Order: sequence, then structure tokens, then C-alpha cells
Amino acid sequence: MRKLSILAVVLAVGALAAWLGLPVNEVKAARPYEGTTIRAVVNAEYVKYSLSLVEQAVYDKLGIKIETEVIPLDPYVAKTLLEFNSGKSPWDLIMFGPSFMPDYGRHLEPLEPWIQKLKLDFVMDDIPDVYKKLMLRHEGKIVSMPYDGDVHIMFWNKVAFERPDNKKKFKAKYGYELAPPQTWKQWDDQAEFFHGWGWDGTDRKLFGAGASYKGNNYSYYWWRPRFFSYGGQYFDAQMKPLINGPAGLRALEEMVKTIQYYPPGVMLFESEEPKTMLIKGEVPFLFSWTSTGKRVGNPNESVIVGKAGFGIVPGAEIDGKIVYRPDLTPGRSMAVSKYSQKKEATMKVLELISDPEQSLKIVMDPKTIMDPWRVSHFKSEKFRKSFPGADEYLDAILKTFPHVVPDPILPGASEYMRKLSFEITEALAKRKSPQEALDSAAAEWDKITDRRGRDKQTALWGEKMSEMKQVGIEYHPDWAKKAK
Amino acid sequence: MRIGALVLKRKSWEPLAFASPSLALIAIVIVFPLAYSFWLSFRNFDLAVGPDSEFVGGANYVEALVRDSRFLNSIWNTAIIIGPSLVLELLLGLGLALLLTRIGRGRPIITALLAIPAMVSPVMAAMTWRMMFGVKYGAINNLGRQLGVIDVYFDWFSNPFISIVAIVMVEVWHNTAFMTLVLLAGLQSIPTELYDAGKADGADGWRSFWYITLPLLKFTMVVGLMIRLIDLTKLFGLIFVLTYGGPGGATETVAFSTYLAGFNDFRMSYAAALSYVIVGGVLVLTLGFMWIQRYREMRAA
Amino acid sequence: MAIALDRPRTVSRSARALRVRRWVGTALTWVAVVAALLFFLGPFFWILTTSLKGNEDYFAYPPVWVPADASLKHYGALFTRSSGARYFTNSLVVSTLSMLAALLVSLPTAYSIARWRFGGGFLSLFLLVLRMLPAIALIIPLYIMYKLLGLTNSYLGLVIVYTVLYVPFAVWLLVGFLRDFPVEIEEAALIDGCSRLRALVSVVVPIIAPGLAVVALFSFIATWNEFLFAIVLTGIETKTMMVLVTSFTSGGTDMFYGEASASVVLGVLPAFIVAFVLQRYLVKGLALGGTKG
Repeated sequence: MRKLSILAVVLAVGALAAWLGLPVNEVKAARPYEGTTIRAVVNAEYVKYSLSLVEQAVYDKLGIKIETEVIPLDPYVAKTLLEFNSGKSPWDLIMFGPSFMPDYGRHLEPLEPWIQKLKLDFVMDDIPDVYKKLMLRHEGKIVSMPYDGDVHIMFWNKVAFERPDNKKKFKAKYGYELAPPQTWKQWDDQAEFFHGWGWDGTDRKLFGAGASYKGNNYSYYWWRPRFFSYGGQYFDAQMKPLINGPAGLRALEEMVKTIQYYPPGVMLFESEEPKTMLIKGEVPFLFSWTSTGKRVGNPNESVIVGKAGFGIVPGAEIDGKIVYRPDLTPGRSMAVSKYSQKKEATMKVLELISDPEQSLKIVMDPKTIMDPWRVSHFKSEKFRKSFPGADEYLDAILKTFPHVVPDPILPGASEYMRKLSFEITEALAKRKSPQEALDSAAAEWDKITDRRGRDKQTALWGEKMSEMKQVGIEYHPDWAKKAK
Repeated sequence: MRIGALVLKRKSWEPLAFASPSLALIAIVIVFPLAYSFWLSFRNFDLAVGPDSEFVGGANYVEALVRDSRFLNSIWNTAIIIGPSLVLELLLGLGLALLLTRIGRGRPIITALLAIPAMVSPVMAAMTWRMMFGVKYGAINNLGRQLGVIDVYFDWFSNPFISIVAIVMVEVWHNTAFMTLVLLAGLQSIPTELYDAGKADGADGWRSFWYITLPLLKFTMVVGLMIRLIDLTKLFGLIFVLTYGGPGGATETVAFSTYLAGFNDFRMSYAAALSYVIVGGVLVLTLGFMWIQRYREMRAA
Repeated sequence: MAIALDRPRTVSRSARALRVRRWVGTALTWVAVVAALLFFLGPFFWILTTSLKGNEDYFAYPPVWVPADASLKHYGALFTRSSGARYFTNSLVVSTLSMLAALLVSLPTAYSIARWRFGGGFLSLFLLVLRMLPAIALIIPLYIMYKLLGLTNSYLGLVIVYTVLYVPFAVWLLVGFLRDFPVEIEEAALIDGCSRLRALVSVVVPIIAPGLAVVALFSFIATWNEFLFAIVLTGIETKTMMVLVTSFTSGGTDMFYGEASASVVLGVLPAFIVAFVLQRYLVKGLALGGTKG
């Protein structure tokens, strides 16, 4: 009898164990990389935060943990490339700006062999052409996936533009109707008009317009749309810089003349400060990254929810037509390092964070400042209804795509851009005249070209120049004078 | 120093043996890298371009001194930061030292308290003041608005001149304690009999200061100033955190622009050349300083 | 009061006027002292209160100078979200190891110089030359060498540099202490049959221990404060507190004000402690660059 009861107990325990063991095995099968940790490197706290939004999904589906290092923006390109150029990398998952693809590309692991091997699906046809062209390939091979689609659009505070009192005053002073600016001249007029008084009906002292003029990377993006809409181009066919020609000069002079209408601190503003001023109702309009839109619609911080307008960045009027040249800024892509010891796990993570569902989560959250980049993002009902005006906002981005101007995507891109931005800020700080500043920048550009190998650069530039020509962007020496 | 007996008893290898660990370390970690860097400065090693480099003679030095307006500008910036800082640190330090001599009780504590800013890292000093200078929420602007001095936000760092002023202010705040302590020690070493004798002769207050204190303090002041001068040429951490060289290049110092050349642009050889230009400059400054001192002493004799 | 002279106690009008002048003088002196303390220590007070602001007082206007809702939540955020605990430990470990290594290496050297005049007057000259050397000249070749040897992002790499940088100053200070040390006690030990080294360790060290402590503390603070080598040679695991602070500078001083100010408070903590402990040696220490970054 005792033997039987022991047997019964053993069987019962065994059955219980088996039953308990079953779900463990199931979970194990669903977490194929359990216990793996991969290391990611990003260039800002908010990017780290964005990864934290999906890390639960990454762990649940794959069992992988992500350890993220933040290197500040200013030394980011330098520090990461320094590691790669010496043949090593402490990171598996790399965030980088696709404009710097010529410098990063050879350190990244091509995706196609892995897509075949692991049957990955990156849903490539859900990516708009403009990003497909610029954010995926190096020397023909796909090496990265987009993560943040950076373009610039214009945002404005409807209150400023719709108050009858404002409209009357403006018409009286400038002779045309007050409306969100379509040209640079209108932008500058309105910055002057709105500066220094309470255009929202209060008696606060408000400011004329918003921008980011910090020297290391920002001021150049507020100069470029003017420069290109006045007919500018980076280099000519012989690699001579054209930035210090009439188009560049006019653009910079306008900026220097109007800086007095911008808030104090503008010289140190990076991306977020002007956005904060816009959503707190302190500046009437701003052109900046599309992530601004999410902050505009976030009732926790914005006072202009439902009162904001979205449109394309101003342009220049040439022969009766307005030429728009909005910025396509580096944005962010994610890639797998060629030197990683955990490529397979990292590829799976890359697939997951890029998939339509996870990436939508990332681009919808206002605190991540990551911008939509999948077609499905723009069509998503959830996104389009997430705040009043969200649909206008997404449509404005789509309208901007055909006109965007990319960075000079060459080896040394980061250096070209930094040196130019530095000189622009020197002019804005009134330490140099605009012509001196641009001439210095052109001289620096020549030095960079020589250091990187003039012939090689000229050949690569030739390709880029013809690509840009195909979408209608080319040098027009006469526009700077003609533009209205 | 009675070393006679010990000297006789030593084994001849002992002195070297005892000193060898530090000598070895210094040779490997300081002397060798400096020699390597000097050699590098005559090549064109550029990590952005590749691992190979070739001999280019003095091209880097020529570029640094003739074609690099940004570096030359940083030399100027360093000079206009050093000048006012030295003057203010001397005056303020002297004032504080005199003040401290007038306190009997509590002098050690107050001295220690006043010395604290000099013991923190320049990075910490800069971060503290950067937050205080904050446009919207910084202590200085808030105080200014409360007192009615400032109207709207005031941006300390958009204006090149004011940025330099801010840097000098933080630098003086950070390092005056050094001069204070040096001068205090100097003051304390002046025998009181001199003052008594002076008083008997009718010299009092200001005159005793001018004719007794100052001359005796001169040597201490010179030593203090020279040390501060050498330190100021290396200004880096404070700039990095307070202004990062901005606005534009208005507050880039020589150490900072060398850092950018080496670790932003990867131009290692060029940065090495720049650093030797700095070393040369410091050498010239120091020797010049000492020579001027010698000259004045000889003239006074 | 400092210069007190004997004066005859006559209660004449001039004596009373003199006393009034003295009283005014004292009052002015103390006003000046308070002003100096406010200027030099005020910023620390502001940073401390900012780091303790529990609610959104930082953004309030009129400004809140003393937080109503003090809380340690920013320190908590610093330690968790910004990995502050790890970086504080890094600073602690690196500074401690460098301090010990510097002592270990410099004591025998100082002994050699103090007892046997090793190197003649070379030490002073060497110190001066080293003081003139800008760190930037050293970091460039050192970075390249460290990359080849794999010493970047490691405790060892940083400790080696820090040790070597502070050995000369440690040696200088220790030479001073050793010179004051009575030679007879050593001689007695040697006569008893001790080797030189044993004599040093068992006899000299215990007696100059306070001096060793002074040198140790200065080394600690100097390495704690160091910035240039730290920012170039460290990586995600080995970042020190000084490097951590810089991650709050880009756009962050308003957004991450709590963590920024908390990291400053922690970063200046050693300075506060050392300033009180080392009052007597402050001049020497500061003069020899004992605390520079």
C-alpha cells in the first residue's frame, strides 16, 4: 500500500513538473536568443529613450537586452569613426546619420545575406523613395534601415496669423495680407513684425521667429534652404566650392540682418529649444524637424494644440514661381557593425525595431523626437488622429518630399558641414562679415577636399551632382539677383 | 642635514634602484610619447584618411602659424583671457589675503571655505556657472529679473565679448583662492617688528602697506603670477563645458582648438604640431617672464 | 585682530574716536568676509538647492531660492537612468588606485632624493618643466599608443597615466617630509641590521604617515578632477564623474536640470571634504598643481 502511495505521489509530482515545464519550454522556444545582450550607440538621450520604448518587445520576442551608450552629438561622428577606423567596435547596433554613409558604409554589415539566411523581412516597399534612395545603401549594398526620417517643415501658430488686429496692422505696414510665409522675404518681414510685443493678445514681450543657430551643426541648416532656393549648389563640376557666391552671401546677409528678431539664446539653440518656444506660444513660426509636430500636439506641454498650422518651408520667387528647397537633414539610420561578435542577434533586433508596428510606436511618441519614415506611418489612422491637425501635419511632410535637398554626401561630409556651420555662426556672432565667413568656409572646404584626395572626391561629387540634377536641383548663378 | 653616516653606508645601486620605478614610468608614459608626438608632427598622419602617413617636413608648422586663422585666433583668445584673469586674481587675491590677516578667530575655517572653489574641478566650476547663466531659469537672470535689472531673458553666450567676460569671471572665481593663499603665506612671513618700526616713524595704514608690505610681497606675487600664467595657457575643461568655444570661435583657447584638430578632425599629426607650437609659446612666455624679472631686479640693485 | 599693539588706556576723545574707527573697521571687515563667502560659496548653495527641487520649482518665476518640496529624486534618476552609480564608482576606483600607485612609486624615489641627493637639483627643474607641459601635448600620442595596446576604456590605462602625472608632485612633497625626518632613528634601525628597504617601510613610513596621507589626498583630488585624459580615454564602462557632467551640456541643462545639478554636487563632494582636512597644506598643494583638472 505504501509503495502505491509513493508511486502515486511521484507520478503526481512528475505530472505537475511536466505540466509546469511545458510553458517554460514554450517561452524558451519563443526567446531564441535568451540571455544575449547587445550594445547600441546613439547620439542623444532621447534616442536612448526611444529604444527603451521597444526594449520590452525585443526582450519578449527575442530574449535580447539592449545596452545603450550615449555619446553627445558634437563629438559623435568623430568618436564613432575613430573606433571603426582602427578596426574595432565596442558596439553591435550602430545609429548613424545616413549623410555620413561614405564614411560609415564600409564598417557596416550588409543586410542582404542575412535576410536570406534568417528569412528576415524589412518590409522594404513600405519605405518612401526619398528615404530608400538615401538611407539604405553603400556602394550598391543595403547596409542600414531608417530609424528617424528627418526633413524640415514649417510650423506656425494660427493665433498669430488669424487675429484680425494683427492682420490689420500687418497690411498697413507691409502692404500685403498676413499669411504664413511662402517666401523668405515674407518670413523676414513677419519676423520683424512679430518681434517684441504680444501678438497673441496678451501684453507679454514675444519674439519674431524661431531658429537654431548653434555653430557646430545647426546654423547651416537654417542657411541652406535659402542658399539653394537662391540657386546655390555645394560645388561645381570641378569641385570648386560655390558656397561663397552671391546665393550664399545673400542667404547669410539676410540671416545676419534679421537675427535681432529671434529670441536671446538663439546662438546656442540646438533642436529642442526653438520647438519649446513655439509650443509655449512664444514664437509665431518656425521651420524645423518634423518631430516638432508631435510636441505641438502633446497637450502636456503645448499650448497651441489644435491651433497650429503645418506647411512647406518657404522658398524664393523666381520668375513668378516659388522654388522650395527644404532641408533633408541626416536623420538617423540603424545598422549592424561589421566587427560585431553578435551579428545574428543584432540583425534580429534590427528587423524588429524597424518593423511597421514597433517603428510606429517610436515615431508617434513626442518624447523621442524620431520622425515618421514608413509609408504606413503616414497612412496610419492612429497617427493621423493622434492630435488635432495630425493629418495636415503628415500631409505636409509628404508634400515636402519631392523638393528636399540632401547634405553633401561625400567622404568627410561631417567635416564639410561642421566647418561651414562654424563660419556661419561666426558671421551671426558678428565676428566676421558674411563674405569673409563664407570665403573662410570655402577655403576650408578646399583643404578638406585635398586631404581626402581631390580626384576621388571630384568623381564622387560628380555622381551626387547628377543625382541632384535629376530632381531639379542645380546651380543657377543668376537666381541670387532675381529672387524676390 | 646630517647625511654623512648614511651616505657612507649606502650600497651604490640603492639610490637608482629606489628611484627606478618612477623613472621607468616617466620614461614610458611621458618621455617616449612626447618624442613620438614630435616625430609625428613632421608627418601627415590623419586618422580620417587612413593608417599610412608620409614625411612632410615642417608643413604642419607652417600651416599652423600662417594659414590657420582659427588657431591664430585661439592664440589671441587665450591671451585676452589670461590678461584680465591674472590682474583680477592678483588684486582680488591680495584684497582677500589682507582681509584674512585682519581676522583672528575663525581664520582657518574661513580660509578653508574660501579655498573650496579652487579645489573643485574646472569642469564642475564651469557646469555650475553654466547653469547659473542659464537664459531662462539660471540664477543670475532670475536674480536680475527679480531686482528689476533685466527685462526679458538675457543671453550671456550669444555675444562674443560677453562670453569672454563670463569666462574670465568663472576663471577668477575658480582660482583666486590660490593667489589668496600664496599671498596670505607671504603676508604672514613679514615680521611684525617692521610694522612697529614703521608706526614709530609715523607710517600708518596705507603708507605702511605701500612701503613695507608691497615690496616684501613682490617676490611672492611674481611666483604666484608665473604659476597662474602657466596654468592659464592650458585652459581647456572650463571652455569645453561653459561655451564649447562659442559663439562661433570666440572663446576657443589654444588647447581647445588643438583638441578639435586631433579628436574632431582626426588630424593627429597636425594636432601634434599645434601642441608643440603651444609648448614653444609657453617656454617663450616663461623665459620672457623670468628674464624681465631678472632685468628689473638688476636695475633696482 | 591681527596687528594688536599695546596702547596706553587713556580715555581721551582721540582714543574714543579711534575705538569707533576700529569698530567700523571690524564691521566693514566682516561685511567683506560675508560678501566674499557669498560670492565664492553661493553658487554651490544654488546648485545644491537646485538638485533638491522636488517639483517643478526650477521653472518657476518668481524664482524659488529655497525649495519647498525638497526631494532626492534627481539623485535617484542620476543613479539609475544616467548610470550615475557606475560612474561615481569609476571615479572612486580610478582615483583610489592612482593615489595608491603614486604613493608606492614616489616614496622610494623621494627617499632616494632626500637621503642621497639623487639627481642633484634635477627634481625642481623637472617639476617646473612638467608643470609647463600642456596635457594636450601628451594626450595625442598617448591616445594613439593606447588604441594600439587596447588600453582605452580601461581602468588600467587611466590609472597608469594619472600615476605618472602626479608622481613628481608627490615626490616633491615627500622629499619635504623626509627631510624633516630625524635621521638618527633610521640609523638606529640600520645598525640593528635592517636593510634600507626594511628600514624605510617599518620605521620611516609609520612616522611620516600623516605626510603620506596629505600626499594621498592631494593625488586623489587631482585625479578625481582630471578631465582631458578622462574624456579621451574612457568609454561607456569607465567614464568618470567629470565626463558624465558633459553629457548634460547639449541642450540638456534645462531638460535634465535635476540630474545635471546632482552630478555637480557629487562631483564637488571630495573637494569639500579635502579642503577641511588639508587646510594646512593648501598652499603647497595648490601651488604644485595638486588639484588641477
